[in-house]
Amino acid sequence: MQSRNQTAPVLLFNDECGVCRSIAGWVKKQVQAGAGTTCIVVRPIGQDPEELRALNQGLNIWDAYATIHLLMPDGSMKLGGEAVAEVLRDLRGTGWFAWTFGISVFGIRPFQLILNLAYAVLADVRPVFGCESCGTPSAWVRPIRWIVKRAASLFGGSHHPSPSPHFTSLPGRGRPSQAHHI
Amino acid sequence: MPGYKSIDRIRTVTAGTFDRLVLKGDGPIVVEFMSYGCAHCGAIEPDLQQVAEMVESTEKIFRVNIALDRELADVYKIEGTPTLIMFLNGEVVGREEGPSPEVSNLLAVVSQPYVS
Repeated sequence: MQSRNQTAPVLLFNDECGVCRSIAGWVKKQVQAGAGTTCIVVRPIGQDPEELRALNQGLNIWDAYATIHLLMPDGSMKLGGEAVAEVLRDLRGTGWFAWTFGISVFGIRPFQLILNLAYAVLADVRPVFGCESCGTPSAWVRPIRWIVKRAASLFGGSHHPSPSPHFTSLPGRGRPSQAHHI
Repeated sequence: MPGYKSIDRIRTVTAGTFDRLVLKGDGPIVVEFMSYGCAHCGAIEPDLQQVAEMVESTEKIFRVNIALDRELADVYKIEGTPTLIMFLNGEVVGREEGPSPEVSNLLAVVSQPYVS
């Protein structure tokens, strides 16, 4: 008999991103409440490339952080919107509408396309919600992030700009002022 | 991110191997302080792999995963990722925070401190 981990899909999430943590937490709660048809294992991606490769030979840690991955028991992987659809299909609370993602019209799955787009938008706007590790936001998100940061600073929030647009400041190690750097 | 998956030319060093491989290592040594969860680190990864291949006869490039080795991050006052620190005979000779992800720029960053 196979172990539970071998038979269940594994949902990997970015533990350094607040949005991803919240979504993963919600899925975990649903699974723990028995609200699914199969038992999804929800686990953070972690920091060990070899450990991930042990889960699936084709899994690369950089890719895992770039896009949501659902590792299927048959060895295949579902990514992005396809992974979200599979998870929603499995959960009892969302399964009632998730079947629509499989509807195909002339070879096109319109609801899956909408979900893919929604996933892409959510992935893009994560930096707006304070996910510094999520990288440089897409061009369309930058004005929104700028407004959010300005608003935060107006209302007493502290924001210290990074020395480079390609730099992720560590929490608690920002640069309060140049005077601290001798 | 094509081109970096087959061979990893950047070896990971830990607090346990840092002294032997970096501080007591021969010649120019570049250390990238990074974390796999940092998208900027992911952005420079393919280019840095390419640079590692270009300079492998003269320089070694290592990585320190600061999510696992916070002690080393503290020692070198790492404020964010990616941060490249260039060593020569155990001494820090250069530092770059958040280099832009282009091969030419990264090549300049890892080579410049060693130009006499």
